[in-house]
Amino acid sequence: MEQDAFVSIRNLTKRFGEHVAVNDISLNVAEGHTLALLGPSGCGKTTILRCLAGLETPDSGHISLAGNVVFDHNARVNLMPEQRELGIVFQSYAVWPHMSVSENVGFPLKVRGVAKAEYDDRVARILNIVGLGAWRDKGATQLSGGQQQRVALARALVHQPRLVLFDEPMSNLDTQLRDQVRMELNILQAKLGFTAIYVTHDQAEAFSLAETVVVMNLGRIETSGPPRDVFHRPRTPFVARFLGLNVCEGKLVQANATAGGQVEVAFGESLRLRGLSGDEQKLTAGAPVLVCVRKEHIGIRKLAPGAIPQGLSGEIRAASFLGLNEEYVVALEGVELRAVQPASGLRAGDRVEVSIRPEDCIVFLAGQNRLD
Amino acid sequence: MQESTAVRRDPMTAATARAQSRVGRFAEVGLPASGVLIGVLLVLGPFLATVIRSLLYWDRDQVSLSLQNFVGLFGDPRFYQAVGNTVICGAGATICSCLLGFSLAWIVSRTDLPGRRWFEIFNLVPFFLSPYVGAVSWIYLAAPHSGVLSRLLNQYLGLPDDFIRIYSLGGVIWVLSLFYTPYVYLFVIAPMRQMDAALEDAARVHGASFWYTLRRITIPLLTPALLSSALIVFVTSAGLFDVPLALAAPKGIRTMPTEIFQLVQYPSDLGRAASFGVVVMIVTVLFTILQRRYIDRRRFETVTGKGYRPRLVQLRRGGRFAAWMLEFVYLGSGVVLPLIALFMVSFSRLWTGRLDPSVLTTHNFEYVLFGFKLTQTAILNSVYLAIVGATIGVALAVLQGYYLNRGSRRRRALVDSLLSLPLGIPGIILGLGFLIIAIRTPLYSTLAIILIAYIARFFPFATRTVSSMLLAINPELEQSARASGASWLQTMRYILLPLLMPAIIAAWLLLFVIFIRELGATILLYGQGTETISVALVILSEHSAATMTALAVVQLILLLGAFMLFRLTRASLLQA
Ligand SMILES: Nc1ncnc2c1ncn2[C@@H]1O[C@H](COP(=O)(O)OP(=O)(O)OP(=O)(O)O)[C@@H](O)[C@H]1O
Ligand SMILES: [Mg+2]
Repeated sequence: MEQDAFVSIRNLTKRFGEHVAVNDISLNVAEGHTLALLGPSGCGKTTILRCLAGLETPDSGHISLAGNVVFDHNARVNLMPEQRELGIVFQSYAVWPHMSVSENVGFPLKVRGVAKAEYDDRVARILNIVGLGAWRDKGATQLSGGQQQRVALARALVHQPRLVLFDEPMSNLDTQLRDQVRMELNILQAKLGFTAIYVTHDQAEAFSLAETVVVMNLGRIETSGPPRDVFHRPRTPFVARFLGLNVCEGKLVQANATAGGQVEVAFGESLRLRGLSGDEQKLTAGAPVLVCVRKEHIGIRKLAPGAIPQGLSGEIRAASFLGLNEEYVVALEGVELRAVQPASGLRAGDRVEVSIRPEDCIVFLAGQNRLD
Repeated sequence: MQESTAVRRDPMTAATARAQSRVGRFAEVGLPASGVLIGVLLVLGPFLATVIRSLLYWDRDQVSLSLQNFVGLFGDPRFYQAVGNTVICGAGATICSCLLGFSLAWIVSRTDLPGRRWFEIFNLVPFFLSPYVGAVSWIYLAAPHSGVLSRLLNQYLGLPDDFIRIYSLGGVIWVLSLFYTPYVYLFVIAPMRQMDAALEDAARVHGASFWYTLRRITIPLLTPALLSSALIVFVTSAGLFDVPLALAAPKGIRTMPTEIFQLVQYPSDLGRAASFGVVVMIVTVLFTILQRRYIDRRRFETVTGKGYRPRLVQLRRGGRFAAWMLEFVYLGSGVVLPLIALFMVSFSRLWTGRLDPSVLTTHNFEYVLFGFKLTQTAILNSVYLAIVGATIGVALAVLQGYYLNRGSRRRRALVDSLLSLPLGIPGIILGLGFLIIAIRTPLYSTLAIILIAYIARFFPFATRTVSSMLLAINPELEQSARASGASWLQTMRYILLPLLMPAIIAAWLLLFVIFIRELGATILLYGQGTETISVALVILSEHSAATMTALAVVQLILLLGAFMLFRLTRASLLQA
């Protein structure tokens, strides 16, 4: 564990009956940084946030915030939520329907006994920052979803907590508003300097907001690291599939000389492909493997009728229009791959030549990695 | 936000923080748990007392533990008569009020009957009235010779004078049905409103007639609500003391509640009464469990609303006439006629069965309010019991509702079923339990024991009201208050209680109404100086019709006042 981490979670486990929602997780977040928790529905993201906020009592582990132990199973420490001095934005916003906008936002100040003048001043300032200055006396239920989300945000920030937890705060916003709020959040964080833990299942959101991205699966951490690393070199087939890469099964033909070196994989009857090993250990020939390729890294070119393909050849099964790009389903000897390319007018039934560069292919040993 | 600093509480040492967190958790867990504990004691106390007392048998001065009380009970033909009559009353009232309640709910919620908004409000009025006063009013209306209606029928239609036999099981069923119809009505009107119109439309489009659709689609979809209200109406109407006391007892017709009342009167046989009570408790608890099981099993089959408003059926001339007739008959017999009878008697100097405008007087009211010690005491006692009891009951309900919806999941189901045990238990049985507890103690015939019995018998209504609303409040509303720095108590005060206020008001008014008119439990527990309005009505019924009806009108005003508040605060009875 890093001593200077602002948030430190060690060996956190939370069960609901038989079900292990969070399984022995350890995480650190440096002060002022943002950590994004990414993963499919039900993988335990919200549960981690709730454990951090003290809304759920973990079954074991240790949590400290800003150097203070707030939970320790062995030492029987479990501070109450209000003692942890943080802010939280719930998935449901949880804006109080019986209070006005300013009462909602001022609540953290009220329970801390802040004097009237300072209270008004702070509420006005934070409402201006989130762009709700004109709405302060409106009832909270008269607001639109996007405005409620801003109220929740303002409420989480008004007392300037050093840690703010976000649970999919933008899941109910439309794409445009989402982009806008994401930018505002970035600016706010730069201004106020809080540490943030941000739960989402939207990759783009995670990558654009966070210094560190953690991908979770079934209550465990699959991978964590800076967004670029996580994005460019998926560490496990699960992460590859979660990020939308093609993942297909094959058999190793030729092993690598060194860890991470080039290998050759066979699919179907005669299809061969070269790629880089994604595992640390050495792979042996004949082992079942999974090959991961990004959709954008599969090149396809239309074959003139009767032409002899130089490399791999396949057939377009389906095409769908995405705007600037088009997505194709290409069949290569029974293996189906998805490819995204600038629109080139290919249609189902067209024969194409397929090219994949070895450095774009990541090969994992199958079986040892959980896939789903 | 330039230089501004964070707002934090004064820093404390880790040790203080931990100590504080232990204390805080104690309030968070301890307060709701104590509400539950009090509830459980209130339920189990009279239960155990009755069971134990039923097993004690006094033979001259020798007390022994034996089943002799039960042997005596089961060997007595009067027991079987009473049980048989009670089952007949309960079943009759259930069938009638289901038919009436379903039809009225359907008319109000699914047809375009002109005036349905008014009917919607007035159909609920009997829910707020006192069944005892209702039964007595029906005596004034339909008693042979003296009843107003009997007389009119005799005079204009030449029907025999005892054409309406009000002193009979039929009379009991009739009055019970009038009072229990709103229960069924309330139970079925919500699902009827929420029912997805597409379910019925689909049947019509595929070729079903209106009646076929009603029979095969609408009614089956509403069966869960109808059946569970039927079970409740059966248990509660069969156990009601008020109506048989007025209409069956005078002619010597035995029913369960009046038999138990008799057994407690001098020369009392508490052992026999307790063993009767145990039998009733077992049957009621079985029914309650049956109803809960049934609801649990059908929970996912309830009719989910997709936001489609069910289309209103356009009534033709005949249909409209029939619907109006039904409303007029129901509101006439349940509200208008009894009230007219009550007012006629209470404003007459001496009731002879004929309204004589020359002897109209307000003297009876002056006497009841300012001149008569018994009625004055009774009014004060009732108001005191209702206000204090409703307040305590609602406080318990909030704590219990919190425990059941927010507390630890373990034991929740058990606690829930324990706490809802009193729901079906007849008031007179619970009164008996508390009588057994209080007898030969300073509590005997005090207001305190009556208050405790009221709360014990009726807090589950409040708990259910509060609980169903709590279920609809997203816990994240409270959690974000905690995360914002509010303690548990502050969260209760600023977030949860304000959000719960509609349910709290509804539950308070409901308890207030129930307590103002309660009779079954009070009749066994009151003493001199602790009479309530209902008890005073029973006492006066043997002496003075004029004084009695005047007091009944006073009670009516209190009850209707609560009804008006209900409408004003827009508290929803459906939550109850
Ligand atoms: N109070 C609870 N009782 C029982 N199981 C729970 C409870 N809360 C969460 N779970 C279970 O724990 C698992 C993790 O839940 P969690 O809410 O953390 O998922 P999530 O990653 O936030 O998912 P989503 O993206 O859908 O919000 C789920 O399988 C869920 O069913
Ligand atoms: Mg979640």
